[in-house]
Amino acid sequence: MKNLLKSRNTGLVLVLIILLIVARVVTPGMFTVGSMISMLQNNTVYALLAVGEMMVILTGGIDISIASQLAFVGITTTVLSTANPGVPGIVWVLVGILLGAVCGMINGALVGYLHMVPMICTLGTMYIFRGLAFVVSGGQWWFAADYLDSYRFWAITKIAGIPLLVWFTIIIMILAGLFLGYTAPGRRIYAIGTSRESSAVAGVKEPAVTFYAFVICGALSGFSGMMYTANYAIGYYGMAESFEMTAIAICVLGGVSITGGKGRMDGVAIGALIMAVVVYFISMIPGMSVWQKALQGGIIIVAVAINYFTERSAEKQALKERGALI
Amino acid sequence: MSDYILELKDVVKTFGGVRALNGVHFQLKKGEIHALMGENGAGKSTFIKVITGVHQPDSGTMLLEGEKITFRNTADSAKVGIAAIYQHVTSFPDLTVTENIFMGQEIKNKFGFYDWKVMRQRAKELIEPLSKEIDVNKPMGTLSVAAQQLVEIAKALSRDARILIMDEPTASLTRNECLQLYRIAKELRDKGVSIIFITHRFEDMYELATRVTVFRDSTYVGTWGVDGITNSDLVKAMVGRELTAMYPEKTAKIGDVVLEVDNISKEGYFKNVSFNVRRGEILALTGLVGAGRTEVCQNIYGIMTPDTGSIRLEGKEVHIKSPIDALKLGIGLLPENRQTQGLVNELPIYQNVSSATMKQFVKAGQLDVDAEMSNAIALCKKIQLKANDITAPPSSLSGGNQQKVVVAKMLSSEQKVLIMDEPTKGIDVGAKYSIYEIMNDLACKGYAIIMVSSEMPEVLGVADRIVVMKSGRVTAEFTDVAGTSQEMILEASLKEKGGEK
Repeated sequence: MKNLLKSRNTGLVLVLIILLIVARVVTPGMFTVGSMISMLQNNTVYALLAVGEMMVILTGGIDISIASQLAFVGITTTVLSTANPGVPGIVWVLVGILLGAVCGMINGALVGYLHMVPMICTLGTMYIFRGLAFVVSGGQWWFAADYLDSYRFWAITKIAGIPLLVWFTIIIMILAGLFLGYTAPGRRIYAIGTSRESSAVAGVKEPAVTFYAFVICGALSGFSGMMYTANYAIGYYGMAESFEMTAIAICVLGGVSITGGKGRMDGVAIGALIMAVVVYFISMIPGMSVWQKALQGGIIIVAVAINYFTERSAEKQALKERGALI
Repeated sequence: MSDYILELKDVVKTFGGVRALNGVHFQLKKGEIHALMGENGAGKSTFIKVITGVHQPDSGTMLLEGEKITFRNTADSAKVGIAAIYQHVTSFPDLTVTENIFMGQEIKNKFGFYDWKVMRQRAKELIEPLSKEIDVNKPMGTLSVAAQQLVEIAKALSRDARILIMDEPTASLTRNECLQLYRIAKELRDKGVSIIFITHRFEDMYELATRVTVFRDSTYVGTWGVDGITNSDLVKAMVGRELTAMYPEKTAKIGDVVLEVDNISKEGYFKNVSFNVRRGEILALTGLVGAGRTEVCQNIYGIMTPDTGSIRLEGKEVHIKSPIDALKLGIGLLPENRQTQGLVNELPIYQNVSSATMKQFVKAGQLDVDAEMSNAIALCKKIQLKANDITAPPSSLSGGNQQKVVVAKMLSSEQKVLIMDEPTKGIDVGAKYSIYEIMNDLACKGYAIIMVSSEMPEVLGVADRIVVMKSGRVTAEFTDVAGTSQEMILEASLKEKGGEK
């Protein structure tokens, strides 16, 4: 099983390399260090959302309200920061994370403790958070001139040529990988995603695990909300619409089983890179940008098919190992 | 200090209006293996859930070493050293054995991270005395049911269990695995662990227990020393009436060959399997679990198709590519796993019964619900189904009665050949007898029945002919059942790749 998952990742890396080669051939002029960095910078928000989404999907749930959380939190930190120019920018990073965590708590409480169906519950909160974003913004737009440098600093400052936002994303991915692979709360996310009944017998409290998975997801959505506005220096209530779909797509591409319990951080990281390459370079090719959505969709279908076949062959392997063999 | 490590008095538990436990008593001595027996629906499962804190009793007292105790949840009972190994293994198939053992009580290093090294080491130490063959780094799902059960035991031990509850642990084990489990249970007992052993098998009880408690219809019937009670007394206590015989008399007339399996092979499962079954005959397909019996049946029923060989029905060669083909030809299968393969839990009992023959009740494109219902009622009566409400889902029934629903479903369609995979697995004596009666009844009507069974007394008691398999091959066929002994079958099921060297 372990080997298979590893080989799946190897396959993903191969796909990534092929995509990069294709990109290099098709758009030679764009294939520079600068454009690679800008590709990362412009796609890390998807990756951050995917890390959070992954936590929830691993429990066997789903959160489709993350893009709305992003918008609500991003607008709120925008409004607060522009009204309080004296406050250091780092405060808005923390406010973003906390506010996102609160959103996650609402989802987590509804799904974990009140046993609502995740899809429907977060469909409801998706509208609520988007609506709150509208209320907070009053329908107003914020542009580059409105944003404070101290606010934007935390996303765009470059260290070793790479923007802070990208560094944050890398650090968060490493932390999330350690959390999921090597800590009890992280492993319990897999446990409840695999079998709720077994978890209950083992003394793992399913509602609590569901709750903190949603809270982590929310905190990351909130963080990416603040970062999104700081990075692009734009804010309006409709921003990042349907980003949750890209995040889910990255998870599936990275090998996260949509029924829960299976999937690793490294896979999702590679999935995020592949999605970034596709989104970015396609937008570079003249006339191809109209195909972007369709291609993204195609990638999801292929990824699900691959997941299905790797799982099937893993099952067969398991059968062989335990079954009567002649 | 009390004589008993655990004592329950007058425990009552009701669900809605139904009394699941009606003033039951139980006394467990320290270092004792105490068998708990009773028909399905007698209240054993509820009883365990009260002891482990899953359910809270409405009234009655529970004493741990003479002191009154109440559990709010499973964590409370685990704290005082009570652990249960459930009938359906409750594991995480994708996680490793090590992680399965420590889930919920992880060992962490000083940074709060999993200490994989220590956990693996501890897991090895726990597993090794139980089995030398289990690799703690393998995913749980790759282990056999028996091995998974041993892991569950290791898990209980890792939690310093003083009281271990085993809910029908032998139900899906082979003979050898049972012996291994007996040895382990005895070792645990000698170390001072008190064990409540729930079982349907008398063999388990005689082998292990010193005392036995019987529940019937949610009430306490009595507790006896195992030495002081006879088989028939025990059956009487469980069933509430005397069963004159364990098996009904065979009355069917055996006719011509209906189904003939000729030299079929399926790579990875079985090789060169041949046998036939006649009208009115009950053919037992036996051997150890994993011998390929179920797979042979699945090939006949079209779930898989054999690589080579042929199947003939009433002399004509048939190609069965799916269960639909099989049903059309008149071959029915009663699957081993009734919960997942035999029943639709979302539908009421009566619709489950009629699901195979729904067409019959369709008139001018409309389902005649009254006809469907009355047909289902007639069938349920025939199989003596104990159900308060046939519009309730099958999950409201006990295991034995669920099995009856699956049988009833098959009765409602016109079949020539019935394949019954472990038809009495995990069901109690009384229900077993009625299943045997139904089988006999069906044979009389001319059905040819293939029964897959691992229980040798059952095979000898019910079958007209016995085919034994081992590692995907037929190793023996016994036509004279009366002259066959358990030892002969056992020998055949252990035979190394039958004399074709």
